[in-house]
Amino acid sequence: MKAVMIIFNQANSEKMEFIFDRLHIRGYTWWNQVHGRGTETGEPRKGTHTWPELNSAAMTVIPDEQVDALLDSLRKLDETNKEVGLRAFVWNIENTY
Amino acid sequence: MSIFKKSVHKPITTLMIFTAVIVMGIYSIIFIPIDLYPEMDPPFISVLTTYPGANSSDIESNVTRPLEDAFNTIDNLKEITSVSSDNLSVINLEFDWGADLNEASNDIRDAIDLIFNNLPDGVNRPTIFKFNMSMFPIVFYAITAEESYPGLEKILDEKIINPLNRIEGIGSVSLIGAPQRRIYIEADPLKLEAYNLTIEQLGQVIQAENMNLPTGNIKMGMMDYQLRVEGEMQESYEFNNLVVGHFQGKTIFLKDVAKVRDGLKDMTLDERINMRKGVRMFVMKQSGANTVKIAKEVRNSISRLSKDLPPDITINEIIDTSVFISDSIKNLSQTMMWALFFVVIVVLFFLGRWRATFIVMLTIPISLIVSFIYLYITGGSLNIISLASLSIALGMVVDDAIVVLENITRHIERGTSPREAAIYATNEVWLSVIITTLVVVAVFFPLTLVGGMTGVMFKQLGWIVTITVVTSTLAAITLTPMLSSKLLGLNNKKKKERRFSHDRIIDPVLKRMEGFYEKIIQLALLNKRKILILALLFFVGSLFLIKFLSVDFMPEPDESRMLAEIELTTGLRVEETTKVSRYLEQVVHDRFPEVEIMAISSGAEEEGGMFALFMRRGSNMINMMTRLKSIDERDRSVWEVADALRKELEQIPEVVEFNVSTSGGSFGENTVDIEIFGYDFNTTTLLAEELKIAVSAIPGAQDVQISRKDDRPELQLILDRNKLAENGLNTAMVATAMRNRVTGMTASYLREQGDEYDIVVRYDENFRSSVSDLESFTIINPMGSKIKLGEIGEIKEYWNPPNIERKRRERVVTVSSVPSGISLGDLANEINRVIANTEIPLGVMVNVGGAYEDMVDSFMDLGLLLLISIILVFLVMASQFESFVMPFVIMFSIPFSFTGVILALLITNTTLSLIAGLGAVLLIGIVVKNGIVLVDYINLMRDREMPLNQAIAYAGKMRLRPVLMTAMTTILAMLPLALSTGEGSEIWSPMGITLIGGLVFSTLVTLILVPVIYGIVSRKGERDKLRLIREKYTFLNGNEQEAG
Repeated sequence: MKAVMIIFNQANSEKMEFIFDRLHIRGYTWWNQVHGRGTETGEPRKGTHTWPELNSAAMTVIPDEQVDALLDSLRKLDETNKEVGLRAFVWNIENTY
Repeated sequence: MSIFKKSVHKPITTLMIFTAVIVMGIYSIIFIPIDLYPEMDPPFISVLTTYPGANSSDIESNVTRPLEDAFNTIDNLKEITSVSSDNLSVINLEFDWGADLNEASNDIRDAIDLIFNNLPDGVNRPTIFKFNMSMFPIVFYAITAEESYPGLEKILDEKIINPLNRIEGIGSVSLIGAPQRRIYIEADPLKLEAYNLTIEQLGQVIQAENMNLPTGNIKMGMMDYQLRVEGEMQESYEFNNLVVGHFQGKTIFLKDVAKVRDGLKDMTLDERINMRKGVRMFVMKQSGANTVKIAKEVRNSISRLSKDLPPDITINEIIDTSVFISDSIKNLSQTMMWALFFVVIVVLFFLGRWRATFIVMLTIPISLIVSFIYLYITGGSLNIISLASLSIALGMVVDDAIVVLENITRHIERGTSPREAAIYATNEVWLSVIITTLVVVAVFFPLTLVGGMTGVMFKQLGWIVTITVVTSTLAAITLTPMLSSKLLGLNNKKKKERRFSHDRIIDPVLKRMEGFYEKIIQLALLNKRKILILALLFFVGSLFLIKFLSVDFMPEPDESRMLAEIELTTGLRVEETTKVSRYLEQVVHDRFPEVEIMAISSGAEEEGGMFALFMRRGSNMINMMTRLKSIDERDRSVWEVADALRKELEQIPEVVEFNVSTSGGSFGENTVDIEIFGYDFNTTTLLAEELKIAVSAIPGAQDVQISRKDDRPELQLILDRNKLAENGLNTAMVATAMRNRVTGMTASYLREQGDEYDIVVRYDENFRSSVSDLESFTIINPMGSKIKLGEIGEIKEYWNPPNIERKRRERVVTVSSVPSGISLGDLANEINRVIANTEIPLGVMVNVGGAYEDMVDSFMDLGLLLLISIILVFLVMASQFESFVMPFVIMFSIPFSFTGVILALLITNTTLSLIAGLGAVLLIGIVVKNGIVLVDYINLMRDREMPLNQAIAYAGKMRLRPVLMTAMTTILAMLPLALSTGEGSEIWSPMGITLIGGLVFSTLVTLILVPVIYGIVSRKGERDKLRLIREKYTFLNGNEQEAG
């Protein structure tokens, strides 16, 4: 099992939901309107007058074999426009209840 | 959930809400009355008091003064003026605008109650008369007739006036100069005397003979019969054979001593229309009724009814106030259509997409229609002010929608789906959209708070623009995102670039412009000081131009009509007056081809009626009313025609004074009045004459008039009381006898088809037209002996002032003049100079008033408004930017917009009128808007840590399009307003000119100077707040030292 944390521009919210549905990922956790800044080029997302845009975050825990498909979809989404911004991070799940 | 999110998620609900608004708006439009100006109740109340038999100075001291003193303490009273003339005292009370007139008239009634017992016994109870705008006639007709002229009154009454009165909303229909039938029995006093008869006896005989009397009833057999004696004459000639007495055994018939003349009432008023005999008919509406609708119905009914009239009667319109109203409204609506067209073009030019343009355009009707709902709810009317307000708002309502749409498009172009783009892009800008709207509201809302007459006019403007702009903002953050989410497609890259597409032709142009502008800013930023000095020089230079500006009160529209009031020598008999008017008629007919219809009346009607309140009366007055051909059919403007007429009038030696007016009267005239206060008639009259001569010498001063009329000649019978007593007579008996012989006694009535005509018995005119005739009048005293008037008194000629005017409880004479070819302000300055050069006698006070006074008041109001607007705008901006400095940077463009205003007014040779001044105030809100857009973006770039100069240049480049777009929509929306030349355009075109001048100039300033000043101001770290705060965080200092 792997956990995938996806931070994305909230403008992509509906597309994210679409990706989850398409890949039959049922379980996820979603945080609306989170702030942040990209490590290299990403603009700050603060919801302020200066930086009006906002991110959302979603985390899903999926079987290892699904991870590649998900990342692949996310990359495709990100490549439609780099400026909008999307990042995903994967780590291991030690245990579940 | 935010409002825009909701509207995007529920498109149908959103659509339904806005449809509901539109439906309600359309419903309102149908019911809104159309008028020239917003309804305003002038705060005037008149108190009319009659005191029969008293002359003007008696009236002044016994009636007018005590009443004035009593009224002086009434609340909200602004000014008391009064006119005391023979038998009548008229006190005019002017209240503050907006005062409750019902309460005021109650106060007046109380004051009268308090003092009434102290007034002389013969004084009748004062009547309180509330003045109302709707008392001005709305339509004037000239009716001419040939053979039917003698019976005209009856014919018109039956065929026209009665049916017209049935139209809903009509107040009254009246005739001026209608011939009235009257039966005169004119006796020869010599014959009367020979037969031992008097006028009174003749009258008694006629009274006794010309009657029908029921005399009871009688029962005969089974029936009950009514008894009647019928003695009434059927025809006037039957009077000839009345037996009036016996003399030496012979019967004397009426025809032996008198002539029976069945004809028209003696002429006191001569009415001619287009050089033919005729009458004038005027229609007044009820208060609050729709002028245009009523006038239309009157027009229709008259054309229908006139078919039943005898063929020699023709009815022509002289003045139809509704024509000017509907033409102006039509003109203004057309102007708005052009404005709309220009706005569409501008938006399309910058956006380059039909769908986007459509979405932006949709906010226009929605926002405008809401103002109709407002008008309907508040009972307002569709008028010049409300339509001009809509025109002003037109260019501004698209701004918010443009900003929102632009951001949405940007998001869509980045690949976001339209739905999400609509929500998130609106989320990003909705706050700044609301702030810019607040700035506009900050300028327009104070307009609703202004008092006085200007306040009445500005109130609608303030509310309408505020409501429209707020609605447009609401639409921009609900409807615009909703429609964008539905109508804007994801950018389909497959689309082939067409040869003449927007992207190929206009976009490169705009891109090049942006690049060019960026370079200019960079250059300007390197020469900050030079630019600032240059700009200041320019501004100061423009201030020197102010003295070339002429100041005016209200621009006067060419309403294609001209009224002239001409006064001949005091006391002139109407026959002589008529001769002058015949001559004048000929002159106008020959030399003024522009005049389409001319009604000229000489003298005055005996019973003045309501209309007399608005006109000066007297047998020596000529009143001319003309309608000119419509503006495009003539070469001379109404003012040129009026000037030419003035020249003609100056040539006529009989004319003492004249006044040619070209205004419709809704705002009165643009006069400058010199008010001379002082008790002594001689000193003040002398001073008035002196000033009149001096003022007449001022070039451009026209129609110089003195309000105090020359003393009127009077013949008085001075009775010798001893002789009266000896002969058993008293003053009343003599006076009645004299009246019966001259004016005549109304003995009875001739009844014909339900109408009654007076039968008047009097001396034949040949026997009552000289002083010796009067002295030889015979009166029979109670003892039966004949007394000649000359035996008991003598007739002397006296001079009497016809009226005494007072203002602020002091006697006043007014010397009024009308500017022609120069502005009101200039004339007032000249007049002030004249007064300064004139020696003012002791105890006399001179004051300059009239429309000039109103003008000064109004400009004071306007100045206050300017101040409040600037303060409010500052408040809004300071809180938006959370800075005291930024508002100043932006407000730097305001003075330069005034430079633009001054230049525009000078170039177009327009006077600075109240309307132009209002335009200047409105500029504040519009001008600042552009600055906000720009500075906001520079701030943004600075916050994003861009270096200062780069941030300024970049922001300028990025914001050039929106700034140009909003400025151009507003400018082009104003352009038709400024350029229109049709009916009524004089009123609003100054506003258009002012706004365009100011906006063009201030936009240029905003684009160059605001970035420069931003550069100057921000050098000292305006944007380094974060750094300042962080310097206080010392907890990591140790680490840095270790690292360093």
